Amino acid sequence: MIRSLYMLYGAVVMSVLGMAQYQGWSMARVNEVKNVPRSIRDNPGAYRSVYSSYHHYTGGK
Amino acid sequence: MSTAGTTPPGKPQVKALNCPGCGAALAVRSFGSAVTIVCESCHSILDAKDPNLQILQRFKVATDEVRPLIPLGTRGKIRGTDYEVIGFERRTIHVDGLPYSWHEYVLFNPYKGFRYLTEYNGHWNDVSILKALPEEHPYGGRPSVRYLGETYKHFQTAQAGTSFVLGEFPWQVRVGEAAVVTDYVSPPRVLSSEKTGNEITWSMGEYITGKDIWKAFRLPGSPPDAVGIYENQPSPLSGEAKTIWVAFAGFLLLLVVMMIGFDMIARNEQVFTGAFRYDSNQRGEASFVTDEFDIRGHTSNVEVKTSTDVNNHWIYLNYALINEDTGTAFDFGREVSYYHGYDSDGSWTEGGQNDNVAVPSVPAGRYYLRVEPEGDPGYGVTYYTITVKRDVPQYSLYGLALLALLIPAVLLTWRLLSFEHLRWAESDHPPIKWGNDE
Repeated sequence: MIRSLYMLYGAVVMSVLGMAQYQGWSMARVNEVKNVPRSIRDNPGAYRSVYSSYHHYTGGK
Repeated sequence: MSTAGTTPPGKPQVKALNCPGCGAALAVRSFGSAVTIVCESCHSILDAKDPNLQILQRFKVATDEVRPLIPLGTRGKIRGTDYEVIGFERRTIHVDGLPYSWHEYVLFNPYKGFRYLTEYNGHWNDVSILKALPEEHPYGGRPSVRYLGETYKHFQTAQAGTSFVLGEFPWQVRVGEAAVVTDYVSPPRVLSSEKTGNEITWSMGEYITGKDIWKAFRLPGSPPDAVGIYENQPSPLSGEAKTIWVAFAGFLLLLVVMMIGFDMIARNEQVFTGAFRYDSNQRGEASFVTDEFDIRGHTSNVEVKTSTDVNNHWIYLNYALINEDTGTAFDFGREVSYYHGYDSDGSWTEGGQNDNVAVPSVPAGRYYLRVEPEGDPGYGVTYYTITVKRDVPQYSLYGLALLALLIPAVLLTWRLLSFEHLRWAESDHPPIKWGNDE
């Protein structure tokens, strides 16, 4: 019983892994924005990334 | 001596005698095979081999004495053979001054002879006397014996006393008699030696559930629940753990095959590279866009690699990977920082000069990057290179899958080890000793 459940679980894990590799999933934090105006090519400063003014690490030991 | 009423032809007969102590009728079920009979009324132990049923011993019984869970005279089928319960005894050992009692049932079949059942806290064993002697076989520094190719590890040695008897016995039973009992286990079996004087008797028990006993003897109700873990109780997970590790090995192999396969079919194609410079002292708009580049193939990831010359400093890059045709942007920010130095602990480093990020599930199309660098004002110039690759295998996903496969196998093994830990905690060889007084 436990073996069958594990086999099923393993098959699901391997399937998800295969799909993730094929579709190019990753754990990166990326924000998808729709309908960005074409004018950005001419005026890059008009676009503000959601990650701008992010808190930056300024340390070291 | 008198005879009981009529018995159907062909059925085993019960011979009736009278107790010389109290005159009560004695039911004899073992056809002269018994050596002693115990009178249920006056608790006299009688010599069954003596025609006059000499009284060998009389013992007192507490009013709250435990009665057999399987009444004497009950018939049932054990391993395909019919047996009748003809005797019952309670035996007790003392560990650290505390009494622990178990019950033994004597079973009889006129053709097969005697067999025994033992019960302790709802745990049952089907016991038969060995016809050959086990061999001593030290195993892992622990006393062990070997029998029919199987190794049995020493579990416990204790002096057991008989504290109550009822029915018929194939030996000279006495209340108060003591024997040194040694158990060796190889679940679901246990080998027991009983030493009385110079005589040693070996028996083998096999764990059986109370439910199976109730079914075999067609007893009413349900058996008492098994409490704790018994010395030879088979772990419900022992076979499962092994098969799950075998399955895990199979999945691991498949994982490696998948990794090689995806490595072979991945495009891993460089679609853009460019070298840039950022001067944090320069005022004005720092953002810019790159040339366009084509991203081909099925929906897959896009890896953006940033290589810098930061040294005890940092640079932050706001990226937007923008599809020129659809206007969809993938926004992300990357900080690259590299610090190093020397202190009382020696030299140290933190971070690195390069960074990789995989933008997930990017459809094919014509793209460009909008880049907005940020840095510490006053630092000066930072040189950096941006490289964009299409469809790059992500090894971290294999790591996650491996972890997902490993967790259930490890949890199961942990549960199995906990079961064994509890089993051996009750033995003469506990896994951990908790101080001198325990």
